[in-house]
Amino acid sequence: MPERVKILTVDWDKPESWSLASYQNSGGWQALPKALKMQPQQIVDEVVKSNLRGRGGAGFPAGMKWNFVRKETSFPKYLVVNADEGEPGTFKDRAVLENSPHMFVEGLVIGCYALDCHLTYVYCRGEFRRGPVARLQQAIDEAYAKGWLGKNILGSGFDLDMHVVIGAGAYICGEETALLESLEGRKGYPRLKPPFPANAGGGLFKQPTAVNNVETIANLPVIVEKGGEWFANVGVPKNGGTRLYAVSGHVNKPGVHEAPMGTTFRVLLDEYCGGMRGNRKLKAIIPGGSSSAVMTADEVDWASDFDTLKAKKTMAGSGGVVYLDEDTNMAFALANVMRFYAHESCGQCTPCREGTAWLSRLLDKICAGRGEKQDVDNVHQIARQMEMKTICALADGAAMPAKSYIEKFRADFDALVRG
Amino acid sequence: MIALSREAGPVSSPFTAEQQRRFDEGFEKAVAKYPPDRRRSALLAVLHLAQDELGWLSEPAMAYVGWRLDVPAVRVREVATFYTMYRLRPVGRHHIGICNSVSCWAMGSETILRHCEDRLGIHPGERTKDGQFSLEEVACLASCGTAPAAILNNFTYVENVTPESIDALIARLRTEPGQPMAPGPEPRLLEERHGIEKQSDPQATGTAGLAAATTVPTERS
Repeated sequence: MPERVKILTVDWDKPESWSLASYQNSGGWQALPKALKMQPQQIVDEVVKSNLRGRGGAGFPAGMKWNFVRKETSFPKYLVVNADEGEPGTFKDRAVLENSPHMFVEGLVIGCYALDCHLTYVYCRGEFRRGPVARLQQAIDEAYAKGWLGKNILGSGFDLDMHVVIGAGAYICGEETALLESLEGRKGYPRLKPPFPANAGGGLFKQPTAVNNVETIANLPVIVEKGGEWFANVGVPKNGGTRLYAVSGHVNKPGVHEAPMGTTFRVLLDEYCGGMRGNRKLKAIIPGGSSSAVMTADEVDWASDFDTLKAKKTMAGSGGVVYLDEDTNMAFALANVMRFYAHESCGQCTPCREGTAWLSRLLDKICAGRGEKQDVDNVHQIARQMEMKTICALADGAAMPAKSYIEKFRADFDALVRG
Repeated sequence: MIALSREAGPVSSPFTAEQQRRFDEGFEKAVAKYPPDRRRSALLAVLHLAQDELGWLSEPAMAYVGWRLDVPAVRVREVATFYTMYRLRPVGRHHIGICNSVSCWAMGSETILRHCEDRLGIHPGERTKDGQFSLEEVACLASCGTAPAAILNNFTYVENVTPESIDALIARLRTEPGQPMAPGPEPRLLEERHGIEKQSDPQATGTAGLAAATTVPTERS
């Protein structure tokens, strides 16, 4: 059994872990007074040292992103939190908001102080309104009552207002510029970059804006308390801290498991998730949400950090890990995944709008037993042609599974087609 | 921006006095989240408020939201049609969304979806004739560790769903009185495809979905 370092989930098995009392009992809200005595740039420097990588999917170094925003001279600046968790297989941000809303709110106050931001939005997916959003709103209200939000926080002279805004059902709004469009009251069409959100002209209301994931923000209190170096040492080189692995599929113990960055998929499966359900054989692993390239059972010893998986031509993505057993037909799995992308493509760019729908039709045809060998080749070919041709990464996220499922599980497709 | 909607003059409210009071209260809160010159940004939130009261977004409701926020009607429509949680026609009093994304699919969500279709006698996107139930296939709900998952009326999660738990849910919902819904397009029912026996008095008013309850679900191959 590995040493289980817990940062984010430390209180999750306690009753009412979401309450203010519970968070304070375990030393919560102690990082904010410390942070307010530091210079904002010092906090950013600690985050750089911590090797904290963005937990939303891209794994961009959080400290570097923040330095981009700090370098901008245009004010106001905004910090917007992406809680539009919608990547199939991913459910860890919801767990953070439901179980540790105060840790998240404290992290967000610290983040805003570091960026000299006085108005922050948490954009949650609409479905979260009754559950996670209610918990989060309660935590925000309590923080206002305690003077951790509002005017002159803890006598520091720092003012901050925090608002929760909900979406209305659109996967694309998890893309940061589509999220900003939606936050501004428009349909979620991703923006052409540059300018990037961190730069003047690219962010919320055209102002410099950091868009960060819920889990990224929730790590800030511990980085302030224990230091960036401590945090960096928890993970592997260039990937600091732990990660919330949202594990689903055919395992004995699905759920959100906190493990150090770089934990292998075998350790995650055997030591955290209790192995495969019914002792069935592992067939495939989706390592980081449905947009990531699929892995075979032979690749179970790969480490799960951002850099290792990038080198292996897949990605750590959103931390949504799906283990699939030997009974799973990967052609049907891909047809399911592609229906999702065809439905969620926003329609702005032709290669994505037409490509995802075309792939979905071809895969449905293959799964209905009406396909030919050429159709399988066409799926692979069309997917290749969709890559790197669109405003946002949704098309790439659809192409990656399409290519990899066929490359790694060709037999499942060939068994369904003629010729 | 040319404020077409406001130039057209006041738009009458689609709400009752009680609904109007709740809507106005929510409206002020939603608009206050944004800087004063950015109040139009609250469009998504205000559409949610209108739908909370009416169950769906009728043309008069969209026109009214546009007028209140000074947003052109075309942009209200653009937003209302883009996001899947906004209903552009009446849905059932109990709107059931079944997740069919990859984790739920691996755990048998297609069986759940077929089971709901058979129990309610409708396809996804349709509403029972009595207006009590509607069904939808939804995208990943961030509930993959408790798959298969469903969502009730946009915001209430139902997890670890089984055919038995869906039956229990539907049975419970039938006992909760339905509210009268605004008239909308007639739903297409499953009878023809499934050969479900037609009721002599199909879903008479007041017998909340009894007809569907007494039909025998047919097995699918």
